[in-house]
Amino acid sequence: MPKTLRVIFSAFRMAMLHWMADPQWIIPNIIAPFVFTTVALTLFKDSTGPFGLYAVLGGGMMGMWGNTLYSSGYAIEFEKWQGTLEEVLVAPSKLLHVITGRAVSNALFGLTNMVAILLIAAFGFRVPLGIADPFLFAVSLILTLLSVSALGLIFASAFVLSRSAQALTNGLETPLYIVSGSMFPIALLPFWVHPAAYVLGPTWGVDAIRLATSSEYASQSFWTGMNVNVAIFLDLTVMLLITLAYAAMAAVLFKVVEKRARIKGTLVEA
Amino acid sequence: MVELPPQKASVSGKAIVAEHLCKIFNVTKGMLRRNKTEIVAVKDVSFDVDYGELFGLVGPNGAGKTTTIKMLTTMLIPTSGKATVLGFDNEKDVTRIRERIGIVLGGERGLYTRVSAIDNLRYFADLYGVPPSVRDKRVKELLEFMGLWDRARDRVETYSKGMKQRLHLARGLINDPELIFLDEPTIGLDPEIAIETRKMIKELVEKGKTILLTTHYMFEADELCNRVAVIRNGEIVALDTPSGLKKYVMETSVVEVEGFGITEKEVARFRELAGVLSVSADLGENKQVLKIQTPKGSEIISEVQEILRNSRIYDIKIKEPTLEDAYLKLVTD
Repeated sequence: MPKTLRVIFSAFRMAMLHWMADPQWIIPNIIAPFVFTTVALTLFKDSTGPFGLYAVLGGGMMGMWGNTLYSSGYAIEFEKWQGTLEEVLVAPSKLLHVITGRAVSNALFGLTNMVAILLIAAFGFRVPLGIADPFLFAVSLILTLLSVSALGLIFASAFVLSRSAQALTNGLETPLYIVSGSMFPIALLPFWVHPAAYVLGPTWGVDAIRLATSSEYASQSFWTGMNVNVAIFLDLTVMLLITLAYAAMAAVLFKVVEKRARIKGTLVEA
Repeated sequence: MVELPPQKASVSGKAIVAEHLCKIFNVTKGMLRRNKTEIVAVKDVSFDVDYGELFGLVGPNGAGKTTTIKMLTTMLIPTSGKATVLGFDNEKDVTRIRERIGIVLGGERGLYTRVSAIDNLRYFADLYGVPPSVRDKRVKELLEFMGLWDRARDRVETYSKGMKQRLHLARGLINDPELIFLDEPTIGLDPEIAIETRKMIKELVEKGKTILLTTHYMFEADELCNRVAVIRNGEIVALDTPSGLKKYVMETSVVEVEGFGITEKEVARFRELAGVLSVSADLGENKQVLKIQTPKGSEIISEVQEILRNSRIYDIKIKEPTLEDAYLKLVTD
């Protein structure tokens, strides 16, 4: 395995070991989704159309999104709490690779959130959740998680510079739910919000997930009138390009902010 | 124990060369009115360390020891000055330096306590690019060397302080470094574990490693170090062998008073006495020890008895100066 991949995998494994060692993950990954789903399904229970789908997938996306973004952005703080940040910094591996491993692990753990919501909706509320194309649904879901992780890396670079970056993550969480179309279609949002929605990778991922779940959604997709499989492919391609741009941006940001941190001493105790 | 790689022949022939290192931190306070203040952590530090040497950096809290180490280990960029570590520039050749050094910071932090010692070491081995074929063998060897193999699969949070410190040392050696930075490695350890740790440090030097050690314990520096630099207010005020440093206080002797009921006021009176160079006081609850450095020797005893007439004196000894006495003179002058 190349060195870089080994570092990413090792950081991923370490994060997973910590998830398993700390049962607190049950709160954001099982209890919070349960609350989300209950509220959403209660609100939409008398509606017609694919509202159950919106409620369930929206709730799932919100939980997954929040979990992944928060944890990825918080990766640097985690190292500070552990007192391991200086040891990690002084290792020859790039900090970006270590944080990438953590972000991917958080993303994977975020999946439990979506799975919990699907199970709660299907068995607890008897919502019909026939997924039209389970394979494309899974692929879209995993790629969306990676896109969220890449966005998390950009947030993480802000943490390298300043502790107050936490306010940034907290403050942007809800606007991101709305702008990415997790809760309702972007078409319902004012037109000036649309450009912001289009530069968010997960916006396209959410579209692909919904297309793979139900044919009823096709009329509200970005690619109305197109074959569903082609539309999903286009969604995922756009998301992949945006995600690559995020990764490139994160690489540059990490380089710049790491150097600044070495000058300002924001990451070490002198 | 792991094999020592061939030493790198640097341009300077020195493991470390620090030239006029200076580090200033800018601190900003206030939300609306931003008040900027400058904190000079290291003013002007120059020294060099030979390959295979155990070099000590001693000084009071806030003197600049840790900041100096963090500049040499590439964690901080100096505001001015220059340093080469193993022949590499510490600002430009960051990765090359990091691959070849080990760092052990004192205290209980710096380990993933929720996972096992093996998982900690494997993780850092990967971060240091230790090849997979070598990694597990080296992890086992290091844990055996540190006497931790029997508990290697237990969570680190169940370890004692001494075990954690040994694991810190093992982590610092995971990449088989040429140069090791030990920042107060025996701080907070009970005497038995501290002796064991010092023994391990000696063994590392015998194996050809170069070590830069910071410590608060002068007897430790005296026992271990080839040379010692005393740092005060961000500047090196003396650099010599331990016996060379003791010469600073050759003309003086140390009057050690053991007693009870000694007050801070009385300690202050000693400091004002003519001919007293420095006074250190350990005013514990059960036993109090005063160390008075003076060229007057036994002549001062009557004055001691006079000042402490309201306290109980158990013993008064006249001692040869130690490295600690030299250190106290240097940092209080």
